[in-house]
Amino acid sequence: MLLHEFNPSIKALTVVVCVLVLSIFFDPVTPFLTLAVTAAATFIFGRVSFRRWILLFSPFIFMALIYIWSALVFSKAIEGETILWTWGIFTLTEESFQRALSLGMRVLSFTSLSLLFMLTTKPAEFLLSLMQQCRLPPKLAYGIMAGYRFLPLIKEEFDIIRNAHRIRGVPKARTLSEKLAELKRYAVPLLAGAIRKAERTAMAMESKGFTGDRNREFYHKISVSWKDWAFFAFFIAVVLASAYVSWLFGFLQLYNGKL
Amino acid sequence: MALQRNHHFLKSEQLTFRHEGENKPVFQNVDFSLYPGEAVLLLGPSGCGKSTLAYCLNKLYPEAVDGKLDGAILYKGKMLEEFRPGEINQHIGIVFQDPESQFCMTTVEDELAFGLENMKTPPEEIGNKIDKALELVHLLPYKHAQIHTLSGGQKQKLALACVLSLKPEVLILDEPTANLDPASSYELTSIIRELKKDQSFSLVIIEHKLDDWIDLTDRCLVLNREGEILFNGSTADCFNKYAGELQAEGIWLPSSVKAGLLAKKAGIYKGKNLPLTEGELIAGLVNPNAALQILDNRKIPPPGLKEQIILSVKNLSFNKDGKELLKNISFSVKKGEFVAIAGSNGSGKTTLSRLLAGLYTPSNGDILYHDRHLSLWKEQDLRQRLGYVFQNPEHQFIADTVYDEIAFSLKIRRMPDADIKKMVQTSLQQVHLLQHADMHPFSLSQGQKRRLSVASMLVNEQELLLLDEPTFGQDANTARELMALMEEKIRRGGSVVMITHDMEILHSCADKVIVLSDGEKIYEGLPDDLWKKHEIMKIASLKVPYIEKLRNDIRRYGREGKVCSYMNLTQA
Amino acid sequence: MLDKWKLREVIVLSVLAVVFAVVYLVFVQFGNVLYGMLGLIGYDLIFGIWFIVSIIAAYIIRKPGAAFLSETIAAAIEVMIGNAVGPRLILSGMIQGIGAEAVFAATKWNNYRTWVLIAAGMGSSVTSFIWGYFISGYAAFSPGYVTAMFFVRLISGALLAGLLGKWLSESLAKTGALSSFPIGKEIKRGKSDNGITA
Ligand SMILES: Nc1ncnc2c1ncn2[C@@H]1O[C@H](COP(=O)(O)OP(=O)(O)OP(=O)(O)O)[C@@H](O)[C@H]1O
Ligand SMILES: Nc1ncnc2c1ncn2[C@@H]1O[C@H](COP(=O)(O)OP(=O)(O)OP(=O)(O)O)[C@@H](O)[C@H]1O
Ligand SMILES: [Mg+2]
Ligand SMILES: [Mg+2]
Repeated sequence: MLLHEFNPSIKALTVVVCVLVLSIFFDPVTPFLTLAVTAAATFIFGRVSFRRWILLFSPFIFMALIYIWSALVFSKAIEGETILWTWGIFTLTEESFQRALSLGMRVLSFTSLSLLFMLTTKPAEFLLSLMQQCRLPPKLAYGIMAGYRFLPLIKEEFDIIRNAHRIRGVPKARTLSEKLAELKRYAVPLLAGAIRKAERTAMAMESKGFTGDRNREFYHKISVSWKDWAFFAFFIAVVLASAYVSWLFGFLQLYNGKL
Repeated sequence: MALQRNHHFLKSEQLTFRHEGENKPVFQNVDFSLYPGEAVLLLGPSGCGKSTLAYCLNKLYPEAVDGKLDGAILYKGKMLEEFRPGEINQHIGIVFQDPESQFCMTTVEDELAFGLENMKTPPEEIGNKIDKALELVHLLPYKHAQIHTLSGGQKQKLALACVLSLKPEVLILDEPTANLDPASSYELTSIIRELKKDQSFSLVIIEHKLDDWIDLTDRCLVLNREGEILFNGSTADCFNKYAGELQAEGIWLPSSVKAGLLAKKAGIYKGKNLPLTEGELIAGLVNPNAALQILDNRKIPPPGLKEQIILSVKNLSFNKDGKELLKNISFSVKKGEFVAIAGSNGSGKTTLSRLLAGLYTPSNGDILYHDRHLSLWKEQDLRQRLGYVFQNPEHQFIADTVYDEIAFSLKIRRMPDADIKKMVQTSLQQVHLLQHADMHPFSLSQGQKRRLSVASMLVNEQELLLLDEPTFGQDANTARELMALMEEKIRRGGSVVMITHDMEILHSCADKVIVLSDGEKIYEGLPDDLWKKHEIMKIASLKVPYIEKLRNDIRRYGREGKVCSYMNLTQA
Repeated sequence: MLDKWKLREVIVLSVLAVVFAVVYLVFVQFGNVLYGMLGLIGYDLIFGIWFIVSIIAAYIIRKPGAAFLSETIAAAIEVMIGNAVGPRLILSGMIQGIGAEAVFAATKWNNYRTWVLIAAGMGSSVTSFIWGYFISGYAAFSPGYVTAMFFVRLISGALLAGLLGKWLSESLAKTGALSSFPIGKEIKRGKSDNGITA
């Protein structure tokens, strides 16, 4: 059974609920355990290659590090904490270290959940599912789909504009100010082209009898079964189990907003 | 088909459309009705408002643009305003003129499914209907293809498949064959003809080239340059009585009518009415064999020697996305030569021209321009000597007004402003766009866009010009004038390489024809010799030009001596 | 809400959202660099760019909901094409959109002068900052730092979202692509209030 086969809306719901539940806890261990299980599931049941995953994940490791660093350097000093290390005006306490680590882990665990969704869900199917299960108005859904369809074409549009300039013999930009002018010469037509395409797409859709009617037939049916709910329950259980393990080892802390 | 004159489907009363901020209406006081099962040809010079009228008839306009529509349109007695957006389009299908702006999904299959879903087709029937529609236009192998990888002609076929799958009651086709190769274009008319037999829908066809449609249509509606109705009546009447007026407006005549008109002027046509079909023409000619001489407009090549090779292509191959789009192509272009490239849709013509223009890099082989590799040329020098016109006119445009579009390259060449102004004016005059100088290039009519894109290159005086279907969507006058501009270029020692599906142009202008099929060159030589190579003609989906067909048929007439056989011939 | 929208407007809105989702994603990388150099406040320097689609969409379409929807969709698309902050980002987008939308709502969606656009950019700054304060735990930082962050973000919202958005929309209108929207007609009539006319 592949992760791709689950209902996209429920998958999204799972991720959102997991993130919400995770934000109740504030210790490094709970998010770390969730992260480990999620990542493992992504590799095993999502058939996602580690390379692809780490490529998307690594910026967030960097971000987590910076989070930790900021939280350490600019942290509020609270009376009565165990001081680990002082240097000039900077004071590092054990508690603030743990807070920084929790913050970093939190970011990473959220990321892993998101990646699980992103790497195993086709956007078009997600939109179809949103229309079929969540009653998203077709007008908006097909609007987004039309916009989304434009993405792979951005490069093509860019080539078209560049070719048009080449054919006219527009000299290459050399200096910085020329480069900036060139950026505008490309960016504005690119956007203008996008809008023009949007208007034409609207016309094309109407010409094919699209009324935005909420009762429509779907060629691709996206279904919901008990398996999808089992998937949901499984991941909530993973988060709760992580918290339980963390509690067993005495790490668990609740997030009470005080920081 | 019996026409039920009293039960019109679609009726317009005193229809007038104005774009916002324009005083002059696009078309005015158009009264028009369409009856069940009827086929109407909508004719008019380029820019007279045919497409605009088509959009108004199914309520896409004025919703989609800023304009004002006066008058009334009724569908089965109900005002169009009473329909919700998109609702009337489930009854009135349309194929847009521009195949690029037809689609709203990514893949061929999804595009077809989208329309069927809108019609509330039960999902289990959709798959079947998709296959059937694709089969009709021979696109079944492309079912899962991405739409943006299809060639121009393939897109046009897909657009037709989409609209046919919806089984509309009224079908509007806006120049559905402009980008198709001759065989596909003929095939498309046959498909429509067949379909019309077993499903009765009404048909409105906007076309410039009429030969394939003429026997299918019951009635003609002709707009003049000002967008007023010039004629509304039976097809036969239209061409018999108004051929002169139509010609004066720049509207294409069916080849037989045109030939008949020519013959009549020369005093060698004795028929009472102008001939609508080839059979009638032959029957009416005083001396068919002698007439051929007069009717043939083949260019007589000037005696000057063409020796200097300016462009040579050696063993050129090109791959993209793992597909071999061009295979081992070699040929050369000489100074003062007019080379035409022909071939079926998707055979790789555009790809080849882009390579020649230096926009793509060959996977293998060499392209030498003036004995120097294209890649070794300095970009600016190359562009001063080599011009390129894209298949899609919009790809050419970079400025915000028609005026600036022409002035752009002149400005780059740092010409004095006064000269620029004069040159732009002359150029716009030549292509009949002067009164549109301040408009945005993208809001021109399709034919006007085409002319603008060609004019923007012609003004540069490069010695080699590559043009990708520069004459599609033109009326008779503008097409003739465009060709005259190119001949002028040749006369001044330039060379032209032109991709075209128009066999008449191959016949009348080309010094050399190159035929592509499936990425391979299968013919290079004189057009006259090409017409005799039946095998190649068939593979490459070509068609003999009118005069050649006439010659063959007259020859056969000499042998069989029966007039009636031509009647059958042309109906076949 | 959407029933009053023409299909054309919905699609223009989503195309804008998609294009800017890509821009946003690029700026995340850029932000990370600034972040690395200056710490958290580096982000605030360019934070305004992430509100720009609200301003542009509202300025072009001029209907209730344009600012909010465009920002939300942009965030959703950003998640789908690879911002691994995940579904939480959609919430951030909504909150940013509400900030701008509130300003436009205060003018009853009738006024699109420069100062309103700037205020809308700042509106997003305010809501996004409040949200960030809780979700990213700004409370952990010293109050002086947090105040500095807030003001930097406010200015960034005014400039990078409000002014830059206005300028981009008007450049676009000048290309003629917006001729069927109010802004296109204003440009055509040469009535835009800052003198950038064709
Ligand atoms: N937004 C606009 N503002 C002003 N004029 C416009 C606008 N859009 C189109 N036009 C003009 O309306 C006229 C009719 O255009 P339309 O596309 O209907 O012509 P057409 O008969 O289909 O021509 P073709 O045979 O070249 O396709 C053209 O002269 C065009 O320049
Ligand atoms: N990006 C692409 N990826 C894959 N195949 C492509 C791509 N672009 C074009 N093709 C394919 O290359 C072939 C040649 O396309 P090309 O546009 O050169 O045809 P053409 O001869 O100009 O046809 P037409 O007369 O219809 O314009 C087509 O079969 C097309 O599907
Ligand atoms: Mg037209
Ligand atoms: Mg082509």
